[in-house]
Amino acid sequence: MEFTLLLAAAMAFAAAVVALRWEAARGNAADCTRDLGEILLTASVVGLFVGRLVAMVGSGVNPLTSPMDILIVRGGVATGPAVLAAMVTVAWAARDEIVVVADATAVAALAALGGWHLGCLPREACLGSPTDLPWAMTQPGSTIGRHPVELYAAAIFLLAAATLAVARRRRIPAGLAAATALIVAAAGRLLTEPLRPSLGGGPVWWYIAGIVAGIGAAAWALSRQSVSSPSPARPEP
Amino acid sequence: MKLRRPLVALVLVIAACGTNVDTSSIPDLAEVSTDDIIASIRQAGRPAVVNVWASWCGPCRSEAPLLAAASSEYRNIVEFIGLNVRDSPENAKGFIAEFFGDAAIRHVADSDGSVVADLGGATGVPLTFFVNSDASVAKIHFGVIDERTLALEVDELVRADGT
Repeated sequence: MEFTLLLAAAMAFAAAVVALRWEAARGNAADCTRDLGEILLTASVVGLFVGRLVAMVGSGVNPLTSPMDILIVRGGVATGPAVLAAMVTVAWAARDEIVVVADATAVAALAALGGWHLGCLPREACLGSPTDLPWAMTQPGSTIGRHPVELYAAAIFLLAAATLAVARRRRIPAGLAAATALIVAAAGRLLTEPLRPSLGGGPVWWYIAGIVAGIGAAAWALSRQSVSSPSPARPEP
Repeated sequence: MKLRRPLVALVLVIAACGTNVDTSSIPDLAEVSTDDIIASIRQAGRPAVVNVWASWCGPCRSEAPLLAAASSEYRNIVEFIGLNVRDSPENAKGFIAEFFGDAAIRHVADSDGSVVADLGGATGVPLTFFVNSDASVAKIHFGVIDERTLALEVDELVRADGT
């Protein structure tokens, strides 16, 4: 059995928890009644489940006659439906605090993506298309230099998470942090996709849809101009 | 309980997705030896992906659609061979009809798993050998293979082989 995917998922969740704690110490969503870590974890599990189901049905495997195949995540997960299901789960779990929760989990979501891509290291699955660049890496037993594409993606998402965390210290319109995170997540995957080995070029239309949706959400947030930035942490008396 | 009816309907629709496959057009799988496999790869003169599967293996079902798609994508540069192990002929034909209908994969039988053992594999399935055009094994992937790994290893094979 291979458990490296589980290890990568654990790295993603750990990164999200660190980001949430980091932001909580700075007054993130102080008035929010929801458990943000629980919402993120639930959304991830639901997204994974739905994405796996869609991938199974799409490839002709009946989930009812082969229920245990749902657990074989390595067999494929449909990215777009998985992300949609995760976002719907967050929206449902947050309900009357959707914008607050979306903003409060934006940095953690980007950090989780970074952690997931960094999980390529224990999986030994970081490499992409061939290159002669000085930082090219090779597979064990190979002489062909390749882009460490998953490390590029990890760097993009972790850097974006840190930048967004700093930006949220300023007063920015409600919803803008979540919209920015969506744009970065989709654009980061879209930019690295050409370097990633795949059969059909990857789900680029889903990434483009994510960017468009993020830009729309950002425009909506800017037009409302209400503010949901975290209040500075109060000093201990 | 408002969701009960839609859920029942969804379950029925998904259940109806199951199909009875027609195996009449699938030929019986030829039993092969290790020498047969090596000779066929050398004769083809190009690298090969040898996937070991069985109809009773759940994970094999999960990776079968990917292998079918990859065999079509790489049909001009890599030979795809399906090695059916420890299986009944009828079940194997049913599996081929269900998952590999139009795929560019040549399926053969290794009833006792001796070919897999000779190539350096293990008893578990699924298993995928990446073989150079001189029939030397470049890499063995144990367990379910994912799209990224398959695409990367095929690229490694082709570049190393210079084809």
